Amino acid sequence: MSTTKASRIGEEIWKTRIDKVNAELVTLTYGTIVAQLCQDYDSDYKQVNQQLDKMGYNIGLRLIEDFLAKSGVGRCANFRDTADMIAKVGFKIFLNVAPTVTNWASDNNQFSLIFDENPLADFVELPDDGRAQDELWFSNILCGVLRGALEMVQMQIEAHFVSDVLRGDDTTEMRVSLVRYIEDEMPPEEE
Amino acid sequence: MSYYFTILSPTDTPIFNIAFGTSKGGGDGIARFRFPDTAQYMNQFIIHSSLDIVEEAQWINGGMYLKHIDTYPPAAAYISAFLTPSGARFLLLHQPPQLPSGTSSGLGSSSLLGSSASTTRASSSSVAANPTSPQTEEAVRQFMNEVYESYVKTAMSPFYKQGMEIKSPVFRTKVTGAGKKWL
Amino acid sequence: MAAPPRHSSMMATNAGAPQSGANDRQQVTQQSLTPQPTQGLRVPSNRKTIYDRHLNRSRNAESSRASFAYLFGEMVTYAQRRVTGIQDLEKRLNEQGYPLGLRLLDLLFYRSTSTSSSALSSSSTSSSPPNRPLRIITLLHLIHGPLWRLLFQRSADALEHSVSPDTPNEYMITDNDPLVNTYISVPREMSMLNCAAFVAGIIEGVCDGCGFEAKVSAHNQPTEMWPSRTVFLVRFGDSVMEREKVLERNGVK
Repeated sequence: MSTTKASRIGEEIWKTRIDKVNAELVTLTYGTIVAQLCQDYDSDYKQVNQQLDKMGYNIGLRLIEDFLAKSGVGRCANFRDTADMIAKVGFKIFLNVAPTVTNWASDNNQFSLIFDENPLADFVELPDDGRAQDELWFSNILCGVLRGALEMVQMQIEAHFVSDVLRGDDTTEMRVSLVRYIEDEMPPEEE
Repeated sequence: MSYYFTILSPTDTPIFNIAFGTSKGGGDGIARFRFPDTAQYMNQFIIHSSLDIVEEAQWINGGMYLKHIDTYPPAAAYISAFLTPSGARFLLLHQPPQLPSGTSSGLGSSSLLGSSASTTRASSSSVAANPTSPQTEEAVRQFMNEVYESYVKTAMSPFYKQGMEIKSPVFRTKVTGAGKKWL
Repeated sequence: MAAPPRHSSMMATNAGAPQSGANDRQQVTQQSLTPQPTQGLRVPSNRKTIYDRHLNRSRNAESSRASFAYLFGEMVTYAQRRVTGIQDLEKRLNEQGYPLGLRLLDLLFYRSTSTSSSALSSSSTSSSPPNRPLRIITLLHLIHGPLWRLLFQRSADALEHSVSPDTPNEYMITDNDPLVNTYISVPREMSMLNCAAFVAGIIEGVCDGCGFEAKVSAHNQPTEMWPSRTVFLVRFGDSVMEREKVLERNGVK
């Protein structure tokens, strides 16, 4: 499936099959969650990243069903198709953005998502404590969501942010790597 | 004209302060208060003295910009106030420049003035010289609105808690820019 | 007039505060209008900071209801692990909503000063800046209308004043079908939990921000037609009721 076709599918589903809310409600709710975690973990940002990833994982496990039902798409032929499906359909119908898929590794098992828009981070300025910009990945929940969702369709992946405009970088980029395809008989890992 | 601008939290804690001079009429943007050694202390003192008046006006006038609300003649200091709906107070102290030779006093309650302070000409309408003219009120309003925009951006961040000091250099630059543009 | 210093003790504290040194320096020299590059947060070279972004940019942006439900659900689940009971949990949700109320208040007013079609008035004819609410009823209309529209894209369903003479300080805002309850599945042992406590916190933030000290709580009041109908009970403090009387006498609207 081509990227353009995936984009078209994403647009179509977003327009016709998605219940909407004000995007700012989502932004502000997410901001509240991250700020609360930073407070509870006493600005131990490594722990906050982990906790966000875990929350995302829990969401991903449930979200995939919703995704498959709404999109009606079948199994992807390869990891390149999976990447387009994540970026142009998944992100589109859940967050109304479509990050760019780029920087493929030569073995086609690793790519980057570049976010021109990141609704989770609107209105956000990281704490000016000399550490947050080096340690906190504000949108880390998204990594967990991908990990959880793909695990449910037999793909073990690893995802992490490599840059974030909130840290002063020029782009917001997430790196996604395929670890392996999970055999059918293996149950999903418990966290 | 010299300016001292401060933002007070709802519990009267100063969360942002800046001093600057006019950039209008060839001004160089540098604050020259009449008592340079004690200006920081004096300005805070004068601003806090006006809070009772602000709080009274706050429940009569529902506007955000309350205009010129208080004058402190001993320092020829004029206070303008802007209230955010969430309870922060923007207070701007302006002090006209001291002219080298004595001129007619243009201040309202001049009988209370010490001789050294009575220096302003009320007839002038330029922002740099007359703190209570309609032109000045309008310029201050524009300044306050512009600062409000930056303040809302600061306050929207999930990591900003009400009453926290605003340390962002970008915010300071924005306020400086607004001062340069309007005052 | 030389008013006595009302906050002299506070001022003394401030004089010793860390920022005063920096201000002194600025006052004396004020050479540069740009901040020192070593200070503060790093910003992208394309200057994508919150200060360079228009506050109205996401005004009409939409996201999916499912995403809100997932995030809000995780927020509740996480909070639940750190509390001992439903009351505690509702208190925590309330506290998380409170600062949002303060933010939304500023955002609402900013938007109605910056655009001709005011977010605060239903008729968009006037472009003059909105007034801060001075009276209880104005405040409640602000919550029932503009705040609800900003959050949920519709007004709340009812606004009532307590009919009991013992509780003139109590007002009720009703939402027949609160978004925060619609998609959120609450664990069985928490069946009495009302996630709208989060919204109650938002309302409380708005009231407090405007200078109307209040306690706000969310209560399930299902009807046959509206199983998740929720009533937000707003109880204003004595000082607010006192002031209300004075303002009434003085004819302040």
